[in-house]
Amino acid sequence: MKRVSINPGRVDWSGENPGIYLKHEATDEDYCSLALFFRVVLSPHGRGHAAIVLAAPDEDRGWPDIPNFIITDNQRLMRWIVDGWVGKMPTFRGRAGLDHMTWLDLDSVHKRPGDIQSSYSETLRGSGITLEMKWLDMGPPIPVEVTRENSATGEHEMYSVFLEARAAEIIVNDTLLAGSVQSRQLFGRDLSTAFLAFSETWVSPAN
Amino acid sequence: MPLAQPITPGVVDWTGENPGILLINDDGSFSAMALFFRVAWSPVGQGQVLLLYGSPRRSRANPDAPNLLFSDNTDLGHYLLDNFIGKLAAFRDAPAFDGLTHVSIQSVRSSGDPMGHRYTETITGEGHSVELVWEDLEKPRALELTPDQVGTGEHTMFTLLVPARQAQIIVNGRSLPGKLGKRVQAGFETTTAFLYFSETWVIPPDA
Repeated sequence: MKRVSINPGRVDWSGENPGIYLKHEATDEDYCSLALFFRVVLSPHGRGHAAIVLAAPDEDRGWPDIPNFIITDNQRLMRWIVDGWVGKMPTFRGRAGLDHMTWLDLDSVHKRPGDIQSSYSETLRGSGITLEMKWLDMGPPIPVEVTRENSATGEHEMYSVFLEARAAEIIVNDTLLAGSVQSRQLFGRDLSTAFLAFSETWVSPAN
Repeated sequence: MPLAQPITPGVVDWTGENPGILLINDDGSFSAMALFFRVAWSPVGQGQVLLLYGSPRRSRANPDAPNLLFSDNTDLGHYLLDNFIGKLAAFRDAPAFDGLTHVSIQSVRSSGDPMGHRYTETITGEGHSVELVWEDLEKPRALELTPDQVGTGEHTMFTLLVPARQAQIIVNGRSLPGKLGKRVQAGFETTTAFLYFSETWVIPPDA
């Protein structure tokens, strides 16, 4: 297969999209805590930041009852991304928590890159919540280019740079969410369930 | 379009954003040049760097059109200068390359919308203020380029190009002279003012 230099598809959005998926035990089939962060630099709905946290992914309740929420400074953008991307990803598809998460306003985002090989964090504040996502002990950057058939949504092409994190934490108002990082098969490799994802671009194929 | 193999062979050199403006004199020579870097990952960490040639044809520039290398990560500034900028003929061959004054960044602010009409980056430090303005923006295009199609001649490169039909480099409130020119990238005719988001430079295994 030969490269096509200028992708004939439509660019949908681009930015950063790291995540942390935690399980109680390595043998568990399902995740107990999920978090996805978004720093969108280009989209038809403008730029913005967001984090989705599902501390009880299959419960149809939101914040403040349980930590199922999305916190964002661009609701229109994130409604579009939740409907068009997150809800189509196998990890999130059909989750009652995704449908019933509470939509909260974001006031600030602060990243602490530190020594990016050892630790990286994003801290989001707003609506009475402080959310900290921490990635620890990173592997080398992995450049990925994914066809529609191989992409998480099954509908888009995707480019990104992944760094797996061998440990990670999701902290909501000083409370550590349950679970730990495990391994999974991704891109034909054994990779962890926590990852940084820089320079990520989603494209709707031309046909 | 992405290749069927999801992991691109090679080693990530750096990834991030890399917009620029090249202004041209009536005789076709460069009158002013600016390249901005917002690096999300490199072997020397994250950071922001601005290369400004206010006087490309002078190794000792006028104070009102200085030749400056701004950075908030000194190691990254040197890394990009040695391993990337120094491989781009248009920048390396300019007399300004050997006469750069290094400046510590005090602040960086982006504004506007890259899918709207106008986008800006404003960089300040040590008494200097540089505003880069891109206007009349075209739609974004996802590019996948092979080593023979990129300025370094050494990398596989993924990027998101947003061409601009108008642009300005404003230094301490003064707009530098010159006009935009045309250039061809991978057979696509575009201008010398460009936003590049989610750009990843990969050193192929056989390089």
